[in-house]
Amino acid sequence: MAEFVIFFIMAAVALGAAISMVLARNPVHAALLLVTVLVAIAVMFLLQDAQLLAAVQIIVYAGAIVILFLFVIMLLGVDKSESLHDPVRSQRPAAIVLGVVGLAELLFLVGHHWATGTSSGPGLNDGSGGNVERVARSLFTSYLWPFEVTAILLVVAVVGGVVLARRSGLPPQQELELERDDDDTEPDAMTESTSEVSAP
Amino acid sequence: MNPGWDFHAIAPEIIISATIIVVLIADFFFQYRRRFQTSQLATIGVLAAMVPVVTLAVNGGTRQMFGGAFVVDPYSLALTGFFLAAAYVTLLLSVDYIGDGDYYQGEFYVLLLTSLLGMMVMTSARDLITIFVALETISIPTFVLAGWRKHDPKSNEAAIKYYLIGVLSSAIMLYGMSLVFGLTGSTLLRDIALAAPRTPHTSLLIVAVFLTLVGFAFKVSAVPFHFWVPDTYEGAPTPVTAFLSVSSKAGGFVAMLSIVFFGFFAVPDTWQPALWVLAAASMVLGNLAALRQTNIVRMLAYSSIAQGGFILVPFAVAADGHAARSSFEAVVIYLLIYGAMNLGAFAVVIAFARRTRSAEISTYGGLGSYAPSFAVLMTVFLLSLAGLPPLAGWFAKFVMFRSVLDAGTPGATVLGVIAAVMSVVAFFYYLRVVREMWFHPVPDSVNPEPVQIPLALNAAIGICAAIVLIVGIYPQVFARIGELAAGG
Repeated sequence: MAEFVIFFIMAAVALGAAISMVLARNPVHAALLLVTVLVAIAVMFLLQDAQLLAAVQIIVYAGAIVILFLFVIMLLGVDKSESLHDPVRSQRPAAIVLGVVGLAELLFLVGHHWATGTSSGPGLNDGSGGNVERVARSLFTSYLWPFEVTAILLVVAVVGGVVLARRSGLPPQQELELERDDDDTEPDAMTESTSEVSAP
Repeated sequence: MNPGWDFHAIAPEIIISATIIVVLIADFFFQYRRRFQTSQLATIGVLAAMVPVVTLAVNGGTRQMFGGAFVVDPYSLALTGFFLAAAYVTLLLSVDYIGDGDYYQGEFYVLLLTSLLGMMVMTSARDLITIFVALETISIPTFVLAGWRKHDPKSNEAAIKYYLIGVLSSAIMLYGMSLVFGLTGSTLLRDIALAAPRTPHTSLLIVAVFLTLVGFAFKVSAVPFHFWVPDTYEGAPTPVTAFLSVSSKAGGFVAMLSIVFFGFFAVPDTWQPALWVLAAASMVLGNLAALRQTNIVRMLAYSSIAQGGFILVPFAVAADGHAARSSFEAVVIYLLIYGAMNLGAFAVVIAFARRTRSAEISTYGGLGSYAPSFAVLMTVFLLSLAGLPPLAGWFAKFVMFRSVLDAGTPGATVLGVIAAVMSVVAFFYYLRVVREMWFHPVPDSVNPEPVQIPLALNAAIGICAAIVLIVGIYPQVFARIGELAAGG
């Protein structure tokens, strides 16, 4: 019974927030309403006994992706009177058509049989522990090796990002010289050894 | 539950991981004037990692961890040794190129070593998730390395193209893998091999295997997934290009070997036709396009596409006749030999570019008259790539054709004929550079004064030349490695 009530409250929150997100005039408001939608859906995952999915939903979508949106909005500068004039006029009818097709697919596939032969629906979750514990168990036993390698991969992704974002690979002295030259051409002047490099 | 670590088996990976971290931190403390110490640390790490590879090979046998997801056997050790050697040569090529350049950053070595780590993980991976993580560990650092010359628009273009296509192919491959998991219920190649022939959804399995292979086809730059190669190879720093064309490409082939031979060997209908087409298209298009190139790096890019086609030939015939064993051997041996000769050719290109800052083939005119030793070495590498005995390349071609003969089916014969014709075509563009070096006058733009070539670069060229000559004359060396890799 409680599950039923919570589902309808969260469904109403998600729907209301989604509609007002589409209609919002201020991009920051739209981003915050998107967070509301995502949190409401995370609660629905919890109702389905998918605790890990709920946590991932909040961490990845609400935590990382929407924050990224907000960063972009912040960097581009937020104008209260954001122009809502659509530069691509065909976008709106296309969105409506795609939405209708998506809804039809969803209705058609409910309870339908998939390629594996079993109908979609809640899977088995018996045995010990919730699914967080079971995911953790397989992550730290049978999939420990790729998990460890992923750790190094993530470190290197950060290192690579910093390397590319750093303004220049030059030692500080040369970097100053570059700034004085006020453009990005080759700084031959500073080192004697640069003359025979960077080709082809 | 203890996953059961076997620290001897993962010692090479542990050493390289430790080196990555040490290099990353140590680089902060080295002064710019003494920046070469960073490369020395990286080199020491790579050489140290070879020690456990040797001790594991001496101990012999097969070691397993994580329920068979990680396997150390002669096959994985042979290729780990190859990747370490190729990375060592790449470090020798990079030291002066990166150290002298306007683009020096110590992180270069961190990225290179991480890509190497991905390759080492790949050789032992017998599980789809590990293979995927290994492939990403190979690729992501090389995206950054390709764009290393940040102020050069060509380098930016190289990185962006490589990145976008790499990410796209990863997504396609991951989709294929998820279908494989759905059909077979496991990510372990051993379990997939048992479940794949029994699945009733054969058509879906074909789609799944095809999508998985498409991801690797991008990585090994097989036609029609090769569009990024010429631009990326030309725009990236040349040592990085050498690394991409040898190590990164071999990484893709290792993944293909594991997936095809350990995962889907019992269902050849799912992969054989696709690989046949990829092999034929890569050989034809790679060789014909290489004929028209005027820039040596672009020519080597198309040549590497063509060589990739030759390596795909044994795959495409593996399930026919009694070719299973000889085709496995052929791929391993071809990869080892291709690595040595291609790294050698790029090493000479890098050394030559120190003199002329050019990669146009026309500037190679008269190299034989003012730098005969370089011209001889370049000739050796190019003729080896073409497959002329007694250089190592002929043995690579020989094992490839042997697998075709072992297969003996009409499809294999047609592919063999295409390979033979295209091997002849390849002579034209390799010999064009040779002719330019020996029979053409020195162009005015080139100053024939001798240029100091750093020791590291000379060492790299020497190592590659020695391998090409020794293996060409005593092919038993690599033949034995190939036999061991294929299971004793």
